Parts: sequence; C-alpha cells; structure tokens
Amino acid sequence: MKPVDLARKLRREAAFEPAALDRGKAVLMAAIRREAEPKRRPTIVPQVPYEDIRAALSFLERAFGFREIPTARFVSADGELLHATVEFGNSLIGVGGQGHHGAISPMSGGVESQFISVHVDDVDAHYRRAVAAGARIADELRDHSWGERTYWALDLEGHRWRFGQPLREVPPSGRRRRPGKH
Amino acid sequence: MNSPSDAEVIGRSLDEPEAFGLIYDRHAATVLRFLGRRVGAEVAEGLIGELFRIAFERRKTFDASRVSALPWLYGIGSNLLLKHRRGEARRLRASARMAAAGEAADRRASAGALDARLLFPRVADAIEALPDGEREALLLFAWEDLSYQSMAEALELPIGTVRSRLNRARAHLRELLEPGGEKRVRSR
Repeated sequence: MKPVDLARKLRREAAFEPAALDRGKAVLMAAIRREAEPKRRPTIVPQVPYEDIRAALSFLERAFGFREIPTARFVSADGELLHATVEFGNSLIGVGGQGHHGAISPMSGGVESQFISVHVDDVDAHYRRAVAAGARIADELRDHSWGERTYWALDLEGHRWRFGQPLREVPPSGRRRRPGKH
Repeated sequence: MNSPSDAEVIGRSLDEPEAFGLIYDRHAATVLRFLGRRVGAEVAEGLIGELFRIAFERRKTFDASRVSALPWLYGIGSNLLLKHRRGEARRLRASARMAAAGEAADRRASAGALDARLLFPRVADAIEALPDGEREALLLFAWEDLSYQSMAEALELPIGTVRSRLNRARAHLRELLEPGGEKRVRSR
C-alpha cells in the first residue's frame, strides 16, 4: 500500500456535541462585538467603601444587578480582597475597603455624605429585584411631578442609592400599580 | 442573485464587522471536523471559536484575490494545532489501534490480520516522526483532500514547495515503514 493510502486509513471522525458550533460562534460574535462597540472608559468612576467587600459585591449583584468585572480584582498577597469593580449600563463603580483613601462606610462613620443616582431601563422591575434581595427601601417607588419615577434604597452598609426612570419610558400599566402591592 | 464570495464578505467585514459571522456559517462545520480528526471532539470544540476569533482579528491580511477563505482557515487551524501535539499523537495512536482491530476483524483467520496489528501502529509512529511541515502537508492532503493550490494557500508556501514537501513526506514514510525503519522511528 502507498504511504498516503496508509495514512488515510488512520483518518477518524470525531463525534461532536450538537451545540459545539453554537458555542464557537458565540466566541466569534463576542470578539466582533468588542470591536464593533469598543467599551468606553467612563470619565468618572465613583469609589464606594465597604467594611465587607465580598458581601457588598454579592448584594450589589443580587439587589441592583451590578456585575463584577472579575479581571479587575485587586487581591493582597495573603488573599485579602482589596478592591473590585462592578459595571452597570455604561458605568463603573469601584468597591473598596472602608477607611482607605479617607473613604468611610456609613456603617462605621454613622453618617452618609452622598448618594449615587442610577438610571435604569425598568425601574419597577429593578425595585422588585432590590426588595426581593433584602434592600432597605428609604423612599418608596413613585412618580414625581418633574417627570421621573424613582425609589431610594440603602445597601448592606447604609450607602444610599437612587434609581430612576423617565416617566415617558414607563409603560402605563407599570405606573398605575402601587409599589406596595408588587 | 449570486451570493457574495468569501473575499467580498471579508472585504465588507472591514467596515461592518458583523458580516464576518457569515464566514463562520459557511465554513465552521468543515473546519470543526478538520480539528476533530486531529485532536478529537473535546479539544476541537474548544478551538473552533478561538480559530475564528483569530481569523476575524487578522481579516485585514486575507488575500482578496482568493475566492474561498477555507484554505486560509485551515492554515490558522494548522498553527493552532501545533500547541496540541501531544493530544494529536495520542489520538493518532488510538486511531491506529482501532484501524488495526478493524482490519483484523475484516480478515479474521487470514495472514493479513497480524500484519495490520503491527502495521498501523507503525504508520502512526512514522507520521509522528515526520517533521512538522511534512506531517502537516501529508495530513492536509490525505485526510482533508486539499488540492495543491489550497495547501499552498493554507501553508502560505509556493505550490512547488508544497509538492516537494509532500514528496519528502512520502519518501520519509516509505523509509520509516521499511523493514528496520521501525528502529529509526523509535530512536528519534
């Protein structure tokens, strides 16, 4: 037998999972998206201090939908998580340790010095998610005369967050419902 | 209405990156089977997205005079496979055992059965003993049925070089499969 024919005898097909091609395409499309919409670095990044960074990250995701960027973690040599970054919409928020760079968590300082205002696509759904995750509601979900629907929540350590959506974007069915009945 | 050639699609993808998805839809199944023959399903499934991501990022370098992108994709795949030489060798040895068992079953109680049990593992060893460039040329030719022109595009070599490389691979294999050749394989 000729060498090439012998080599041909060792040709063997692999058995693929049906979704193999879909997963590959997802990898490609992610690369395409990265190029098509280069991620803009926000000009301003609020830094929010917490006594327990890990608990804060977990809460911020469960309650508010802020996703940690796993590659952006700073961990000390002995494994202590020093700083993390979460993203939401086109914004970033730094999550750091209480007391670093003069930033104080309300849990330690007993005072709040500021709050962060966040625009969301569906404030009613966002409110339900926050309540379900155990966020303390500081000001109920309601419509305002200036054309916005908002609620205020406190996170685990007492930082105050304001979530809002322009009333013109809120579907009428969502607006009429009383938040307490969700 | 004619569908656009790969070269036209890739040209368009320079301004509209999403267009490159069509190159995947056209060729991913073929390229996945190619990778699977070489390194098995599991590794191939992990490589296919990576291969097209690399292709996408290098699309500016695609030679627009080529009609089909498939040889170019084979070439990117061949480079990726170099990092998986050990898995490739493992699969080839397994294939040799299976081919030998298959032949043995076909020719039960004949003298050929014994030959096959000895021969195919030696073919696998001989293929493994080839220099990378010759092995790649041989497998693109024997397993993928690529033309000389396509192999030249995949390996980015002049067509004459592809021919001589394939001839060297044939000669090497013949030599390694000769009586006594086995020792030379093992000693490499």
